[in-house]
Amino acid sequence: MTDIQTPQSAKWWKKTDVKRVFLLWIILTAVIGYVGSEVQARSMGAPASEVMASVISLIRIFTWAAAPVAALVAALAITALMEKRHYGDNPPPDALHQVHTSPRVNGLWMAASTVLCLFALIVGLIVLQKDSASLLDAKAMNVNVTGQQWVWNFDYVESNGVRSADLYLPVNKPVVFHVSSKDVKHSFWVVQMGIKIDANPGYVTETAVTPNKIGVFDVRCAELCGLLHAYMQTKVHVVSQADYETWLKSTAVTQGAIS
Amino acid sequence: MTTMMERSASAPGHSAKRKPLIERLNIVTALALGTVSAVVVWQLALKFMPDNADTAFFFNREDKISLLSLIAWFIGFMVGIGALIGPFRWLLGKDLNHDENMFYAGKDQGIKRYFRYTTDHKVVGIQYLVVTIIIFFVGGVLAMLIRTNLGHAQGGWIQPQTYNAIVGWHGIIMIVATIIMITGPFGNFVMPIMIGARDMAFPRLNALSFWLIVAAIPPVFISFFTGGITTGWSAYNPLASQAGLGMNGYIAFICIFALSTMVAGANITTTVIRMRAKGMTWNRTPIFIYGVVASVALALPAFPVFFLSQIMSGLDRAFATSFYNTTGGGSGWLYENLFWIMGHPEVYVILIPAVAALMEMAPVFTRAPLFSFNIAVMGIGGICGLSILVWAHHMYISGWAPLLSAPFMITTELISIPTGMLFLVLIGTIWRGNLWMTMPLMSIFALLWNFMIGGITGIYLSDVPADAFLHGSMYVTAHFHYTLMGAGLTGALASLVFWFPKMTGRMFDKKLSWVAFWLVQIGFNVAFMGMFLVGLAGQPRRVESYAAMFSRGNLITTIGAYTIMAGMLVLLHGVIISWRSGIKAPMNPWQSKTLEWTVPNPVPLENFDVLPIVTGDPYHYGKAQS
Amino acid sequence: MNKRFFAALGTVILGAAVIAGIGTYVASAKNDSRVLAATAAGTMDTPQGNLPHYTLDISVYPDAMFGGHGTGGGHPDWVSYGPVTNFTVPAHSAITITVANYDGGETLNNDFFGKIRGTIGGTATLNGETISSVAPDHVGHTFTVHGIAGEQSELFFSVPMKAVAEEDMPEEGYTKTPNVTVFTVITGDEGEYVWNCEYPCGDGTIAKFGNAMSSMGYMSGHFNVVKA
Repeated sequence: MTDIQTPQSAKWWKKTDVKRVFLLWIILTAVIGYVGSEVQARSMGAPASEVMASVISLIRIFTWAAAPVAALVAALAITALMEKRHYGDNPPPDALHQVHTSPRVNGLWMAASTVLCLFALIVGLIVLQKDSASLLDAKAMNVNVTGQQWVWNFDYVESNGVRSADLYLPVNKPVVFHVSSKDVKHSFWVVQMGIKIDANPGYVTETAVTPNKIGVFDVRCAELCGLLHAYMQTKVHVVSQADYETWLKSTAVTQGAIS
Repeated sequence: MTTMMERSASAPGHSAKRKPLIERLNIVTALALGTVSAVVVWQLALKFMPDNADTAFFFNREDKISLLSLIAWFIGFMVGIGALIGPFRWLLGKDLNHDENMFYAGKDQGIKRYFRYTTDHKVVGIQYLVVTIIIFFVGGVLAMLIRTNLGHAQGGWIQPQTYNAIVGWHGIIMIVATIIMITGPFGNFVMPIMIGARDMAFPRLNALSFWLIVAAIPPVFISFFTGGITTGWSAYNPLASQAGLGMNGYIAFICIFALSTMVAGANITTTVIRMRAKGMTWNRTPIFIYGVVASVALALPAFPVFFLSQIMSGLDRAFATSFYNTTGGGSGWLYENLFWIMGHPEVYVILIPAVAALMEMAPVFTRAPLFSFNIAVMGIGGICGLSILVWAHHMYISGWAPLLSAPFMITTELISIPTGMLFLVLIGTIWRGNLWMTMPLMSIFALLWNFMIGGITGIYLSDVPADAFLHGSMYVTAHFHYTLMGAGLTGALASLVFWFPKMTGRMFDKKLSWVAFWLVQIGFNVAFMGMFLVGLAGQPRRVESYAAMFSRGNLITTIGAYTIMAGMLVLLHGVIISWRSGIKAPMNPWQSKTLEWTVPNPVPLENFDVLPIVTGDPYHYGKAQS
Repeated sequence: MNKRFFAALGTVILGAAVIAGIGTYVASAKNDSRVLAATAAGTMDTPQGNLPHYTLDISVYPDAMFGGHGTGGGHPDWVSYGPVTNFTVPAHSAITITVANYDGGETLNNDFFGKIRGTIGGTATLNGETISSVAPDHVGHTFTVHGIAGEQSELFFSVPMKAVAEEDMPEEGYTKTPNVTVFTVITGDEGEYVWNCEYPCGDGTIAKFGNAMSSMGYMSGHFNVVKA
C-alpha cells in the first residue's frame, strides 16, 4: 500500500485529500444551504402573518447555519469513500498514518458546535420573546376557541355572542385566542399563520397573531383526538375591517346566541 | 422427563432428586397456564363482579374485568414458564443445586432450550433476536397498511377507528422493537463475551427479562381485537380514558414491558461494572459496551415512570380515579409530563447503542483505530445526562408552562454538542481508513447521512417558534423516523450482519445484505423526504385522510415505504437462508480485536475455558501513532 | 445465482401477499359499508338561485336494532342513526334532509350545537314548526357535517334534534311520535365530508364520547358530495 504514501514533510493542507475535502465542503455547503432552505421555505407556502414569516426565516437561518456542518461531514465521508476501497472476503491491510486522537481537531469541533448551538439558541430566543409579547397586546381582539370532538367553534368575545364554526378575522388587527376543549386534548393550528396551541379540557391556553393578508386559510387539529381527528379542520377567512363588520352583523342575526 | 406426571403443576419445587418440575415447564405450559388463568378469572369476574353503581361516572366494570384477566394471564404465564421456581425454592430454603443450574443454563438440550426459561446469555440473545424480528415484521405490516391507506387523498379504505388503532399499534410495537433491537440480541449475546465474562451477573434475571417481554406481547395483540389502541402510541389522557377496552391491553403491555426493561437494566449495568475481564479498565472497555450500559442505565430511571403513568391510567379507567381527568381534579398535563419523562430518555435508549455498535464496527471495517475514544465516551455520557432534562420540549405548545419553554429549549439544543461528538468519532475513524466495503461499513455512511438529517431537523423542532408551526405535523413523524429508523435501525441491521457469524456460526449472505441495504436506505430516504414536505405544507400527524394538496408528497412516501418493505423482506430472506445454509463462519471472520471473536463457533456454554486477561484497547489497528 | 435470485424474490412476493391479505381483511372490517344516495326531487328556489333538489330521509334510534344494523353490528345496544350511516349527495344542489328522532336526551356539552347552523336561513322545521335553535337541555342528537380544510368547498352544517320527552319514551319498542326535523342545505363542489353527532350519547367515558360516538357506523359516518 505504498500508493497512499504522502511525504511526511508536506503541510497537511497541501495533501490532495484535504484539498478535495475543502473543495467539496464549499460546494456542498452552498448546495445543502440553498436546496435545503429553498425546498423547505417553498413547501411552507406564503406566510399570512409575521409570526409565520419569522418561522420561515428561522428555518432558513438554521438550514444555512447547519449546512457547513452537514457539508463538512459529507465532504469527509465522500472523500474517504473515494480514496481507498477494498472488496473481498478478507480484510484490507491496516490503514497507515492513523491517529488515535487529535486534541486540535477535538477542541475545534467542540468549539464550533458550541458556537453554532449558542447561535441557534439566541436566534430562537429573540423570536420567542417577540411572539410572547404579542399575548399582552391590550388593543387585540379576543376570540374564544373551543375544540370539541371533532368540530372547532369560535366565540367572538367583543361581539355579543356571535359564534361560528369557521373563523373570520379582520386583517392587520392583533387577535388573542383563548383556547379550550370540551372533552379531550386538541391542538389549534392556524397553518399559514404559524401558530399552534393545545386545547386542554378544563384549562384555557393562549396564543396570539396578527393576520396580515386577506385570504382563506386553514385551521387543522394537530393532536390526535379520536375517531374523526383527520376531519377536525376548518377555514379562516381574513377579510377587511369593513367586511368583517358586515359579516358580524349578518351572523348576529342568523347565528347569534341562544337566548 | 415424564416420570413425574402425577405431581401437581401448581406445587413447584420439592426435592431435587425426584426430577424437578423445571424440566417440564416450557413455552407450551406457560401459554396454557396463562390462557387458563385469564379465562378462569375472566369468567369468575363476569359472574361475581358487581354492576356499576348508578352514580358511577365511568363505565368501568368491563375495564376492571379485562385488567384483572390480563393480570391473571401475566401471572399464569410467568408461573407456567417457571419464573417462580427459583424464588420459591429459595423461600423454602432449598436453593437450586448444580445440576439444576446447569439445566437452567440449557446444557445439552439442543433446540429445546430456546423454548424454556433458560439462563444462558447466548440463548437469551438468540431468543431476543427472533422475537425482535417477529415484532418488526408485525410493525412493518402495520406500517404498510398505514402507507397504503394514505396512498391517495380520499380516506376510507380502512375506516377511521381501525386506522387509529393501527397507528397506535404500529407506534408502540415499533418503539418496543427498537428499544430491544440492540441491547436485547447483541447486548445479551455479545456483551458478556466482549467483556470476558462467563455469563451475566444475574442469569435468572436475564431469562426473566426476556420472558416478561413474551408475556407482554399477547395483551397488545388482544387489544387490537377489543377496540384497539386508538390513541397513538403516546396514549395521551384523557383520550386514553375515553378509548375502548383495547387500552387495557396497552396498559398491561407497558407495565410488563417496563418491568422487563428495569430487570434487564439492573442486570446489564451490574454485569458490566462487576464482571469485566482482568485488565479491562474503563479505558480499554469497547465503546459498544458503553453504548449498551448507557442505554439500559438511562432506561432505569425512565421506565419506572412509564410504569407508574400506566398504573394511574388503569386506575382512572377501572376505578374512576382522576389522576388525569380534569373534571375530577386531575390533569392531562400530568400524564404528558410522566410520559415524556420516560419518552425523551427513551429515544436515546434506542439511539445510543445503535451509534455505539457502529462505532465498534468502524475500526474493524476501516482497519484504523477508533478516533478519540474519550470524545466518544463523553458524547454518550453527555447525551445521557442531558436527555433527562429535556422532556418538556414535547410540551412547548401544550400550554402547560409557557415560561419553561426557554429553559427546555436551551437544554434541548445543548444536546447537539455531545451528538456532534459522536459524528466526530465516526468521521474521524473513517477518514483515511482502508474501507472494507461491506454492509456494516456502508451502514456507517447511511447513519451519518440519516442521523445528520434527523439531527438538524431536531434543531428546528427544538426551537419554540418553529415548533409552534411544526409540532404535531408529519414533519415530526419524518424527523423521528430519521433518528429512530434511519439511525437506530440502520445500526441494528449492521449489528445483525456483523455479529451474525458469532451468533449463528454462519456468514450472512453478502449479496442479500447489499440488496437489502440499498433497498431499505433508498426507500427510507424517499419515504421520509416526502413526509417532511407534506409536514411543512401543513399535514397533521395521525390523520386517516388529508387534503388533496398533500397527495403528491404522500404518494412519494408510500412508494418509498413499499421499497423499504421489499428491502426488509430481502433481509428477512437473508436471515433465514443464511441461518439455515449459509457459509460456515470462521472464528473471527472480520479480523476484529474484541474478545467475542476469540471464542470458537459455536460459543461454548461458559464462553471461556480460561478467562482472558486484557492488556490493551481493542482498537490498535495500523500504526499506533504518527 | 438465478435460483437464489428467485428465492429472494419469492420471499418478497410472499411477504407482499401476506400484507395484502391482512390489509384486505382489515379494510373489510367496517361497521357499515352501505351508502344511501339522496333522491332527486325536481328543483328548488334557494337564495343561490334555482338549484336541483334532492331529499334524504334518515332516523335516529336509541339502539342499533333497526335498519341495516340489526343485531349484526356487534353492538345492538348502541345508539345509532339509520337506515345507513354513509350518504352521498350531488354537488351544487339543495338537499332537504328529514331526520326522525326516536330517542330521548339531556344536555349538550356545548350549547353551540343547540343552534341550527349552516342550513338555508339558519332554520329548520321541527314537527312542522320553524325553529332556529333547540334549548341545549332538550337536545337528543345533532347531525353535524364537516370536512377537511383544503381545496374542497367548505361545507358545515349542524342541526340539533329535539329529544323525545321522557314520558313519551315507551318501556318496550320505540315511540310512536318521533320528533321530525326537516332542513335544507346547499352543497358546493364535490368533496369528502363526514358527519357526527355532537350530543354526548356514547355513555360512560370522558365527555360521553366513547363507544357509539367513537365508531363509524353508529353516530358518525361519511357524507360525500359527488357529481350530480
